[in-house]
Amino acid sequence: MVRASLVVSCALVLGAAFINDSVSVALAAGPGNASAAPATASRPWPAEEMPLPLAVRTPQDLAVKAVAERQYLIFNLLAGGKMAYDSGNFAAAAAKWETLLRIPRLDPEIERVMRPLADDARARAGGSASPPGPVPPVAEEEPAGAGASEPASSLPARAPAVPVSGTISGGGNLGPGGTVIWLKRADGRTPRPAPARGKVITQRNKTFLPHVLAVPVGTTVDFRNEDDIFHNVFSLSRPNDFDTGLYRQGASYTQTFRKAGMVQILCNIHASMLGYVYVVDSPYYAQAEANGAFKIKNVPPGEYDLETWNEASLHPTKQRLTVGADGVRGLVVKVSGDRAAPTTLPDKSGKPRQAHLGY
Amino acid sequence: MTGGSRRGAILVGLGALLVATAARAQEPPVVPAAPLPPPDQSSPGTPDPEDLVDAGNDSPGYTPPAPAPAESALHIDGYVDVGFAKAQGNGTSFPRQDSAVPADYGVDTFAPAVNSRGDVASTDPGDGRFLNGFLPRSAGIGGNASFLLNTLDLDLRYQRPGAPLMIFSRVQFLPRLSPSGDAGRFLVEQAFGRLMPFDTQELAISVGKFDSVFGIEYLDNQAPIRTGVTPSLAARYTTGQSIGAKIFYRLQLGAIGSAVSLNAAATNSGNMVESLQAPDASVAGGPVVSARLGYELNLRPFQLKLGGSALHGPRNDQRDRKAMQRMEGGDLRLYVAGVALTGEYVRVDEDEGTGPKLTNLGTFPLASGFHARALWGQLAYALSIDSASLQKVTPYVRYEWRHAWFDGFVPITVDRLVGGLRLDLWDVLSIKGEVLINRERAGAPNVPNNVYTSSVVYQW
Repeated sequence: MVRASLVVSCALVLGAAFINDSVSVALAAGPGNASAAPATASRPWPAEEMPLPLAVRTPQDLAVKAVAERQYLIFNLLAGGKMAYDSGNFAAAAAKWETLLRIPRLDPEIERVMRPLADDARARAGGSASPPGPVPPVAEEEPAGAGASEPASSLPARAPAVPVSGTISGGGNLGPGGTVIWLKRADGRTPRPAPARGKVITQRNKTFLPHVLAVPVGTTVDFRNEDDIFHNVFSLSRPNDFDTGLYRQGASYTQTFRKAGMVQILCNIHASMLGYVYVVDSPYYAQAEANGAFKIKNVPPGEYDLETWNEASLHPTKQRLTVGADGVRGLVVKVSGDRAAPTTLPDKSGKPRQAHLGY
Repeated sequence: MTGGSRRGAILVGLGALLVATAARAQEPPVVPAAPLPPPDQSSPGTPDPEDLVDAGNDSPGYTPPAPAPAESALHIDGYVDVGFAKAQGNGTSFPRQDSAVPADYGVDTFAPAVNSRGDVASTDPGDGRFLNGFLPRSAGIGGNASFLLNTLDLDLRYQRPGAPLMIFSRVQFLPRLSPSGDAGRFLVEQAFGRLMPFDTQELAISVGKFDSVFGIEYLDNQAPIRTGVTPSLAARYTTGQSIGAKIFYRLQLGAIGSAVSLNAAATNSGNMVESLQAPDASVAGGPVVSARLGYELNLRPFQLKLGGSALHGPRNDQRDRKAMQRMEGGDLRLYVAGVALTGEYVRVDEDEGTGPKLTNLGTFPLASGFHARALWGQLAYALSIDSASLQKVTPYVRYEWRHAWFDGFVPITVDRLVGGLRLDLWDVLSIKGEVLINRERAGAPNVPNNVYTSSVVYQW
């Protein structure tokens, strides 16, 4: 891994050293004065031909490779577009920058700087946008989990992160909606997921909204009371058990979920309130829509165990899944519906209550 | 104000201050809603962010689409309670060759209860002697070890989503051996409409046949809810259903982590179980009023609930409207770290009435004046198990005591020690085993009447 990192670092430093000189010239010229930059017009952009020989032997290597390739792609598109622009090849410049701008989760600063330049290049190239070029796989990927790639002609074969999509069926009377689906690597260590941000469960009209929320380990969920009454949130689901105490309208309570598993959430005051947080220990997860459709984004190819949880299922499902370079589409997963909705929900001491009677 | 009352007031004030202080100290870190803080990445056990893979999952979660009103308005639930029990002796608590009259000794039989309904193993003294109309219902198994189908329960609930009105009925099939036990029957245990007119207030108004409002043991009437198998010696005075109207109101006092509640009812027959009174009609012609005033302290480390209950009205097992029944009681529930301590004290007084006595078990010549003092306390520990099947193991012990007499008869004091274990499997199945050691402390001969009983309860 160290060796791979060194190789990446060297490649990036070399590229940066080369481009620093060119960029200084290009910036001095500016897009509006492209014709005033003849010194760079004939200079090729070497990085497009430079391989990125990152050895992948471990999952950590894969993660490093994914990060490096994404940054490499961004760098190449930035610089290659500028080189093309400066050489007067506005169509190529526009194509590269437009491709750059399609990369998801692009740094806003890059977006701010490059959008007008891309528009300018497109205008100079004739005004009409060309059909989208080959969409870099990274456009469907995550920054860290992705194996960003250049067009095939410019970079060696890689392992781009790909989507895994399909449909959940079953789930009994409740249906497949809300099923949590996640992947664990079967051929190595599953990367640790970064905590998600902005996860909120609202108490409104004496219900938890959303009813089921999937979050990665370490995520802090904000519980907000939007009812004009006091609420409580508690869970007896060890080891994620917690108790917010009472809190009034407009107040909120944050709870961090540090262990994987199902967390049943209840209200000690209102016996009918029931919801779930499902904590996954993988970055590759999704929740099914009401019709069962799901899509897990940014999955590096490999061998996985696909697992599911549905509130109507007594047992989670688990099955082996091979994710190829093109991802997986049309996957069909059936979950059982053999767990009846609980007719008695406990209070925070564990004492069952007849929810429908208010006890 | 006298010196004593002044001291009392000061003590009460200090107590309230302590409770409020404790409540504030335990208040959760509630903050006004604001933009979310970043995830806590510096706390122990949180990995270095550089090692983490951002899932990029921005799903807000899943909420089922709103169903059409007709789809989810009707809910059908229920349970089946199957038991296995063995009582010592002949299952009646009546000594062999006993000739005391009346056969129920003027008070209740002594407690060879075998199921969640309080049915005893047998009530047949075997010689057709005079009864005073205070026997419980019987499973009719005598001293034999026997399987029992205690209850087959069907609950129907109708409530349109978001509507303030709910209609609920609970019908139970209770197969019993006949003629030595009570005949099998269908029982409409509850049937009522409940209106909750305000979204922002915990106010519920119910009309129909519903549970008692007295004390806390009625909360455990159903086998899936009750921790153990059998009810206490006091349950027959406090856990009956009756027809009438009731109102429940609870006010949350969030600043001190507390709530106060009032549950009040006006019904045909009060709280006694239907083997003691006739709940389905007003025999005496006047309503029985009952109420419980409750206080809850809901802090994160523990939960304390206290209540005081009272009942007053004509006894509804005879026709004299001036023959009154009165009950007072106090209850306590304390929950901390999986341990539940619960208890109740009940005082019952019934004036002598005009015979005959009418109950759901039959007609008896006398409506004697009756008095009882009873208490029970239970300690249970719920051990959660991290298993997909076995979810909770709850051992429990209970002590019960009852001192009761009919006017003109010798008081009888009995007590009972109960120990048991409950296993909760999945969300739908509970298995319970229980031993009852029944002791006659005064006023009646000792008799071998201990019981082993068990119960398997499946909910759907």
